[in-house]
Amino acid sequence: MILNYLTLSIILFCLGILGVISRRNVFTVFMSIELMLNAANLAFITFSRLHVSMDGQVLAMMVIAVAAAEASLALAVVILLHKHKGVLDTNIFSLLKG
Amino acid sequence: MNCWQPRVRLTKKNIRKGALDIMFAEWLFFGLAALSVLGAIGLILFRHPMNGAMSFVVTLISLAGLYALLSAKLMFAVQLIVYAGAIMSLIIFIIMFLNIQNSDLPVERGKGIFLVGGAVVIAPIAMFLYKIMRSLPGTRNVMGDNTYFVGNGFGDVKEVGLILFNHWLLPFEIISILLLIALVGAVIMAGKREAGK
Repeated sequence: MILNYLTLSIILFCLGILGVISRRNVFTVFMSIELMLNAANLAFITFSRLHVSMDGQVLAMMVIAVAAAEASLALAVVILLHKHKGVLDTNIFSLLKG
Repeated sequence: MNCWQPRVRLTKKNIRKGALDIMFAEWLFFGLAALSVLGAIGLILFRHPMNGAMSFVVTLISLAGLYALLSAKLMFAVQLIVYAGAIMSLIIFIIMFLNIQNSDLPVERGKGIFLVGGAVVIAPIAMFLYKIMRSLPGTRNVMGDNTYFVGNGFGDVKEVGLILFNHWLLPFEIISILLLIALVGAVIMAGKREAGK
C-alpha cells in the first residue's frame, strides 16, 4: 500500500522535528535534520512508484547530494565551534547574533 | 497499463502467486518500518551522539530496504553507499575525532518537557499531513495490478540515468557547482589559520 509508506515518511519527519526542538547537542540536531531529509526522500521515491515515473528518484538523488554538501559544511562549523569554545551546545550559537 | 509493468497472464496460479508476493512484501515493509522508527527514536533519545549515530545508521539501512521494496534499485544502492556509507562514516569520524567525553555533553535539563510539548505541537500537524496524503488520488490502492514490484528495468541505472541526463541536466550541473562550493567552504572554514589573522 502506498499510504503505509507515506505514513512512515510523515512519522520519520515528525521525529526529526522533535529531535531538532528537544535536543541541545549539535550532532544530534544535525542528524535529526538528516532524518528529515531522509523522510522527504522516502516520500519522493514513494510518489515515483505511485506514478511509475522515475523523476522522483532523480529528485531523491539530488536531495542526497545536497545532504552531502550540507554535511561537509555543518561538520566544519562544528569543528570550529569545538576548537574555539570547547562545547557542543547549540545555545553557544546565540553568540552569532549581531 | 504502462510499459514498466510486466506482461503477466492472469491465470489462477499467477494470481495466487501475486497475492503471496504482496503479503510477503507487506510483512517485509512492516519489519523495516518498525526498525526505522526505532532507530529514529533512539537517535532523539540517546544522550551520547555516538549511540545516536549508530541507531541512525539502522534507520538509514532499513530505509534502503524500503527503497528496494519500492523497486528503486539504483536508489537502494545509492542510499547504502552514499548515505549509510559515506555521510554517516564522515559524521562518526568527526564524533570520534573530537573525542567527546560524557562531561563535554551539554546538560539537557528540560528534555522530557520539550519532548512532550513538541509531540503535542507536532501531532496535529502529523494528522493534517496524513489527511492530505489520504486525499491524494491513488494512494489507497494496492500497488499496481496484482504486482507489488515493477519490472522491466524500472529504477535501474540506465533508465534513471537517461531521465537524469535528458530532463534534469541543468539541476545536475547546479548540484555539481554546489558540491564544489561546499568543498571550498569546508576547506576555508576548518582549515588552518595564519597567525595574526
